[in-house]
Amino acid sequence: MRPDLHRLHWIEHHLLGHPTPAEAADWRTQQLVDAELAADTEIQRQLYQGLYQAGRQQLRWELDQIHARLQHSARRRGWLQAATDVLRRTLRLLPGR
Amino acid sequence: MEITASLRHALLTDREQTLTRIYQRAFPLVRHYVVQHGGTAHEAKDVFQDAVVVFYEKAVQESFVLSASVSTYLLGVCRNLWHRELTRRARLPLTDLTDEHTQQVADAEPTADTPDSLAVLTYVEQLGERCKSVLLAFYYFQQPLEQIASTHHYASVRSATVQKFKCLERLRKSVRAALSEAFAHA
Repeated sequence: MRPDLHRLHWIEHHLLGHPTPAEAADWRTQQLVDAELAADTEIQRQLYQGLYQAGRQQLRWELDQIHARLQHSARRRGWLQAATDVLRRTLRLLPGR
Repeated sequence: MEITASLRHALLTDREQTLTRIYQRAFPLVRHYVVQHGGTAHEAKDVFQDAVVVFYEKAVQESFVLSASVSTYLLGVCRNLWHRELTRRARLPLTDLTDEHTQQVADAEPTADTPDSLAVLTYVEQLGERCKSVLLAFYYFQQPLEQIASTHHYASVRSATVQKFKCLERLRKSVRAALSEAFAHA
């Protein structure tokens, strides 16, 4: 993996993973020597927040689609039901039945 | 425990079908409850979808254990949400908007160019469909990388992992560039 991607991976492990005590100690040391680590970590934290919001939006969109589909088929069923009811009533009125 | 695990598996592997089945079973109960308690079908939909979002986020966690059926669980959550909404409405009765309210809303608009208002969300939308899909599948929908590799046609889990970080890097660069620009204009 490229060094920049490796760095993302490393920060992700610290933010979302379960770093071991040794990794946590290494992280603290790196914070002292790496001037950009705090800012990079903060940006990455914001990325995860944004992805969480985007995910929620996506799920709401999917639920809206499901809702619309179910409503549509319920309306169709309602229309079919009404049509067959009329047919059934008509057949009942026919002579000889 | 096993039911929760199979539900989690179904949500992760076939979200659309699983959510459709849940919707078909649980929404009529919720709509009935909300309409019986002073709400509309539209409000029932909003409350129900809020509950499903919370349910999804919990259900995909390994630690989540469902002690009732999904419909019972969702109905319980919706009852609480609707009760809270009714309490909120009772506290804040509807009043007509005045110029003063409009001014208060305008004053409360977030000012641009601060890190929090940069809205990473906007940059997620600009990523392109494939990158967005990979990132949301992993970070929000909690799909395992094996599945992401398979659904996005990557040769291996390692390729999917690298691609995920490439997409995250693209997003980071966009946000970082926007931040730098914001500070340059400050």
